[in-house]
Parts: sequence; structure tokens; C-alpha cells
Amino acid sequence: MTASVVPVSRDTSPSRDNTVEDPARRADLVLDGHDYASVTDAICGIAERKETPTAWKIAFLASGGLVTLLLLMIGYLVFTGLGVWGINRPVGWGFAIINFVFWVGIGHAGTLISAILFLFRQKWRTSINRFAEAMTIFAVMCAGIFPAIHVGRVWMLYWVFPLPNQMGMWPNFRSPLVWDVFAVGTYATVSLLFWYMGMIPDLASLRDRATTKVKRIAYGLFSLGWRGSHRHWHRYEVAYLLLAALATPLVLSVHSVVSFDFAVSQIPGWHTTIFPPYFVVGAIFSGFAMVLMLIIPARKWFSLESFVTARHLDNIARIILVTGSIVGFAYSIELFMAWYSGNAYERFAFLNRALGPYSWAYWSMVFCNVFVPQFLWSRRIRKNVKALFVIAILVNIGMWFERFVIVTTSLSRDFLPSSWGHYTPTWVDWLTFLGTFGLFFHLFLLFVRWLPMMAMAEVKAILPEPEPAPAARPEVPPVPAGCLGAVAEFADPETFRIACGRVREEGYRDFDAYSPFPVHGLDRAMGIRRSRLPLLVFGGGLSGAALGLALQWFTNAVDYPFIISGKPLFGLPAAIPVSFELTILFAAFGAFFGMLAANRLPRFWHPSFLSERFRRVTKDRFFVGIDAADPRFSAERTGPFLASLSPLSVEYLAEHPAEGR
Amino acid sequence: MNDAPQAPPGPIFPRWFDRFVKLLGLLLAGGVVFAVFMLAYAGSPSTLNVGYQPDQPVAYSHRLHAGELGIDCRYCHDGVESSSHAAVPPTATCMNCHATVRTTSEKLAPVFSSHRTGLPIRWVRVHDLPDYAYFSHEAHVRRGVGCVSCHGRVDRMEVVYQHEPLSMGWCLDCHRDPAPWLRPPEAVTKMDWMPDGDARETGERIRRELGVDPSTDCSTCHR
Repeated sequence: MTASVVPVSRDTSPSRDNTVEDPARRADLVLDGHDYASVTDAICGIAERKETPTAWKIAFLASGGLVTLLLLMIGYLVFTGLGVWGINRPVGWGFAIINFVFWVGIGHAGTLISAILFLFRQKWRTSINRFAEAMTIFAVMCAGIFPAIHVGRVWMLYWVFPLPNQMGMWPNFRSPLVWDVFAVGTYATVSLLFWYMGMIPDLASLRDRATTKVKRIAYGLFSLGWRGSHRHWHRYEVAYLLLAALATPLVLSVHSVVSFDFAVSQIPGWHTTIFPPYFVVGAIFSGFAMVLMLIIPARKWFSLESFVTARHLDNIARIILVTGSIVGFAYSIELFMAWYSGNAYERFAFLNRALGPYSWAYWSMVFCNVFVPQFLWSRRIRKNVKALFVIAILVNIGMWFERFVIVTTSLSRDFLPSSWGHYTPTWVDWLTFLGTFGLFFHLFLLFVRWLPMMAMAEVKAILPEPEPAPAARPEVPPVPAGCLGAVAEFADPETFRIACGRVREEGYRDFDAYSPFPVHGLDRAMGIRRSRLPLLVFGGGLSGAALGLALQWFTNAVDYPFIISGKPLFGLPAAIPVSFELTILFAAFGAFFGMLAANRLPRFWHPSFLSERFRRVTKDRFFVGIDAADPRFSAERTGPFLASLSPLSVEYLAEHPAEGR
Repeated sequence: MNDAPQAPPGPIFPRWFDRFVKLLGLLLAGGVVFAVFMLAYAGSPSTLNVGYQPDQPVAYSHRLHAGELGIDCRYCHDGVESSSHAAVPPTATCMNCHATVRTTSEKLAPVFSSHRTGLPIRWVRVHDLPDYAYFSHEAHVRRGVGCVSCHGRVDRMEVVYQHEPLSMGWCLDCHRDPAPWLRPPEAVTKMDWMPDGDARETGERIRRELGVDPSTDCSTCHR
């Protein structure tokens, strides 16, 4: 949006097909003529339901049962030992690693949608990004369980972190398994920050609409006292953009590092350079399939068809088609390279995949991942919600088989036929896997019940602006005792924008503009200089990189020199993954905490909260507030001045007179 | 707005709440510092294990026997030079002297009773390494590591206690750089032995003579 937006009359035609490309106008991303208030009502309404739907309760109990099952299985494993799983020599990885890679892969769509689509200005992301980010976080949580319990002695798990200890030992930073800890840990942390940061304005919406004490306090605490100040929005947008820019390489790095767990070893079928891109694209493929699988029922149950439109599903389907085709291409390149390399072991590994004892898994994988997505070439199928749902499920099954094929076939038959074996998962393996689905859906149900399911503030920003209000001059109330400032309320961004400029021209400095979403074109009107947050983020990134390199050099080359597989004690290539992850992590901390600190948040009490009308600042109203601390402020003059800017109302802010100032 | 019940007027949080949150933040930061201190200091083996001094079934004084009377360590703890274990002596070793010395002492009653019945005295183990750590006394004592280096001045202990942390990091300190801790093998049991001149110089010489080259491989101790 620019400062001079021509108001567009909303298309309220009954046609809901926004998938048709019309070069003359942009396709609507929100249908049914929604405005700021109705978006807020629709999305908040889901979390505000008084009665918990029976279907939700049943699903919650069922998934809760599976979580119990998961805990029982983990307990049984920890108290009995890894022998309860099917793993043994030579297949030492089995279900734990298959499921880990499966879940981490699913977790890729969320941050991809939030970050990469944000950088590419794909506005359709706004109604699905919150949803996908939540999915990411829950999927990564499910993923994290598996390597943790796979180590056997769970209580020693903290050994993977570089903590000073009495043994004088440090983790081996030349091992991809340690890189994995850093990659997945950073990914989980940054995704959580990204998710939470995006949710702060929407939590404030819920706070301002909450009617019960518990909800007011809970949403109030988590929204950190957000009041839609434009000075805050300015830094918020800078921080959000930076986080997106940081998360983009992070998304690509995480599954690359996961693929290193395989590619850095020498096992035939694993030891290939194609693995990182092949894993990343597969992760995006499965992640988008999972998004589709969740969003199709959700949009129906919560009547979100006007936000998650046919065009959204169509876009997701296209991404699945593209990534699925790349995955298919990667499968064929793997076969080609096995033949072309002339390496007998490599050739055998792939022949064994396609024709050996696990060929049923291989061909299930090829069917689900390569053949099934090709249906998405058809426009009819992309518009058929049921078909999309079935394809999404099949893709997820196929991607699980992909990880099964990679882990099992290569390990069960490596170089030496005398050490070959066969892997069969046990009932504990299966029930643990099933249990993580319970955990995933359990958390997801909690999310859709209590949290804003869509990024309302972002959706509002892509709505067409309403017509500017006709000129008006509301009445100014009498000046109260202990006046802390004055606020004027506006109903549309354009009048609001002009008002902000006028307030500044009038010579006020201690004033602020408040809005439900970042209104563009205000920075200049308000005289806000560009935020210096990027410098802080750069500093954070640099210190992360320096810390990463210093940590690996000191621990592995100086304090605990230990030769492993003849590798040098410190080598830059092996030090890159961990340094990279720490760079991203610290820069993201800089963006998130820097944004909060510069905005002086959390701040739970603010004079504007004294106004009842101000509660709509997180819904559909725009406010200009002038602080009594401003040298030019005088209640007698400032009130009428604000009234002259065509607001809906003007109000003075004062605490109860008895409390005074 | 709709007809839903309205929230009470006024801000949700009182004005003092922000100061309270700041205080809470400070407390949290203090809590982190405290936790780090607890882990680094209170949880370390030099706090938890050093000074462990269990009651023994017999009021045996090392200060008297090893210190004043000057009995060599190996008189009781025999086998220390030829096996991985330093033996805890059987009652018979005590009786070598106490068959004639202080035969009526009240303190020695458990020893005499053990001698009569043949049931061993249940000494309480002071220096106990984890089961997964393989340690050989022979390997150390024959290469010039003095008893005192690990056990402290036992000749001055009325009741024996653990003097060193015996943690893995502490073992590794010496395995990586043994020179300052070496002495001529004939002086290993001498509690008050001091090198002539620089300990490192003496140690380096002994290291060359005995070919001391300790390994830090995992499998050296974890077999």
C-alpha cells in the first residue's frame, strides 16, 4: 500500500472463484466483503466461543489418549532399554530416525510460508502463515522427541550441549549429529520467536475483547501490553522483515544439516552430494502437504472459506506439484548417479532399494511422491477440495516411506554381505510413532481453541482501504482533573494518515498514532527515522558467528583435543554449520529482543488504556494520541485541535480523580 | 459491538504492575546467576566428594601408624605394585603386631573379635571410582605416581577422607601433562617426598626414563 491509495469498492459478487487470472486487477485474497471489524470478529470469534464444541472435546480426548500412549511407550523404553525397539545391528537407526526426519520435514512448511513467501511478497500467505507456523512448532516438538529417546540413556542427553563439566569433555563438533542439535534447536527457537512475534498484535485483539478476568489477564500478559503504536509497528515491521530474512537461509539449512547425518557417512546410498537439496525440497513438499491436510478440514469446521480461498489451496497445490516433481527428478538422478559412478556398492544399494526385500516401500514411495502429485496438473483437481485432501494424505505417507527407504535399505545391506540384516519395527515402535501424532494434534487443538488462528493484523493490511470518512467535528468533552493526554479516534486509514501529519505540523512531538495494523505512509508523516534495529541484528549475527567459531576451536582443538577418524582438530568446513546456526540464532535474538527493548515492551500500563474506546485499536479503529508531557500540550487547545481533524470522537485521558497524577 | 457481556472498564493491569514486572525480571536474572553458581560450584565433585570421611568400624588412625610409627603403605596395602587393586588388609595383617601389642585395648575389640570368628571387618570404602572407570594402581605406582598425589597426606589423617575430586577432568589433567606429578618409583610411598629443584624438570627426566606416555583414549579407562 502507498500513501495515496485509491479506494476500491469491494467486490461482493457471489462468485467465489478467485483462481481465474485477470490481468486487469489483482485477485481478491479475502472474499465476502470482509472489513477490519468482521475479520476480527470472525477470527477472534473462534477462540472466544463460550461452549467448547463437542467434536473438539472428542478429538481432544482422543489425541490426549495418544499422548498418554506416547508417554507410556517412552517410559517403557527408558525403564527397559532400547531392546524394546526393532533396532539392532546392522540397522541401528530404525523408526526413531525415520520419524525424526519425517517430523522435521513437516515442520519446514511453516517457516517457509512465513519467511520465504513474505520476502517474495506473496500476500496469500497471510491467512495461512499462523496456522503453518503453529504446525511447524508442534512438528519440531514431535521430531525432537525421537533423537532424545534414541540416545538410550535419556538422562545423559545434556551431554550434547557444550556445557563445562567435571569430565573435562566437550561435544565432538566435527560430527553431523552435533550440528543437528544446533540446527534443530535454532530452528525451533527462531520459529517460536517468529510465531510469537507475529501473534502479539492478535493476542492484543483477544485481550481487548476478552470479557472474563482470566482471559483478560492471560491474553494481557502474553500480548506484552501491545497498543498498536505506530512507533512500535515501525520497529516491529523492521524486526519481522529481518527475522524473515534470517529464517529463510535457516529453513534451507536445517534439512541440509539433517541430510548431513546421512551424507557425511560412507554408507552406500547415503554418501551423495545430492542429499541436501533433495532433503530440503522433500521437506517443503511434505510440509505443504501437511498444511493442506490440516487446513482443509479447519476451513470447513471454522467457516474460514472467505480467508482460505480456492486460490490459496490452488497455490499450495502448485507448490506441491513443483516440489513433488523435483523430488521425482532427485529420485531419478540418484539412480543415474549410482549407475554413472561405476561404484559397485552404490549400484547395488539402488538395485536393492528397487528390487530388494524393501521394494514394496520403495514403490509405495514412488507412487505417492512422484505419480500422485502429477494429478495436480489438472485445474479441476486443484479446485476439488476432497481430491486435494486425499493427495495431501498420500504425499505424507509417501514422504514417510522415503525416510523409511533411505534409513532401512542402506543400513540393512551395506558393503559386507556377512553383516546384512533385516529390520522389523516392534509394536513399541509403531505405538510411539502413533503417539507423536496424538501429541501433534493435541497441541494443534489447543492452538485452534485458544489462540488467534490467523494473522488478523496482516490480513487487515491486505484488505482494500475503506472510503475516507466525510468531514466531521465531534464534541470535545470537558477537561478532567489530572489529564494525561488526549486521543482522537478515526475509522479509516486515510483520514488518520492526514491527521498524523497535521499533528506534527502543529509542532507536537510527544504524540503517537495507534492502529490495528501497520498503516504505511505514516513514517514520514510522523517524522519517524529509520530504525537502527538492523545494526543490532548485524551485531547479534557477528557475535553468534564469532562465538560459534571460538567455541568449536577452543573446545575441540585446545581444551579437549581428540582425534576422531583422522579429522583435523579444527577445520573451517566442519565448523560452518554450527557457526551458521549460532549466527542466525543470535541475530534473531537481536531482532526479537531488540524490537521489544526499543519499543519499551512489555509495558502493561499506558494512559491510552484508560480510554474505553481505545480497546478498538486492535480491531478496526485508528487513534492519534497526544501526551500531556508534550510542551505544546494544553488541554484547552489540544482537544479542539484534534476535533478539527475529522475524527469520530475526541477523549481526554485521566485516571480516577481520587488517584490523581 | 455485540450484546456479549462487557469487560469491566479501565486498564487490565494497575500502574504498579510494570515496576513489579521489572523486579520480576531482575529476580529471574538473579535466579539464572544463582543456578549457574549452584551447578558450577555446589554440583562439582570438589564440593560434593572431597572431604568424604565415613565412620569406620575400627577407630584406626593412619596418623599414628603411617605417620608416627612410619609403617610403609605397602605393609598393609600390599599388591599395589603388582595388581590393579591396593588391598585392604585382612585382620591377620593387624594381628601381626596386635597379637602382642595392646592386647587389652577396648578400641581393638572389633579386630580381636574378627580374628576369633573369622568374619572380616567391614571397612567402609572411601575412594570409590565409578564401575565404568577402569583404574590400575600398579600402572600408576610403578611409573612414579606417588600415593600422596591422589590420596593426600594420609600420614596426617586421624580418619581417612577423600582429598581429591577423583573426577574425570581431574584424571585427564594429569594424563595430558603428567610431568609435574612424577617422582622416582622408589619414593612413591614417601608422603613427604619433595623434588630437588623444579618438579617439572625432575618429572620430565623420570618420564623419559620410565617411558611414561599416558593415553587419553576413551578405551584407556572405559574398557
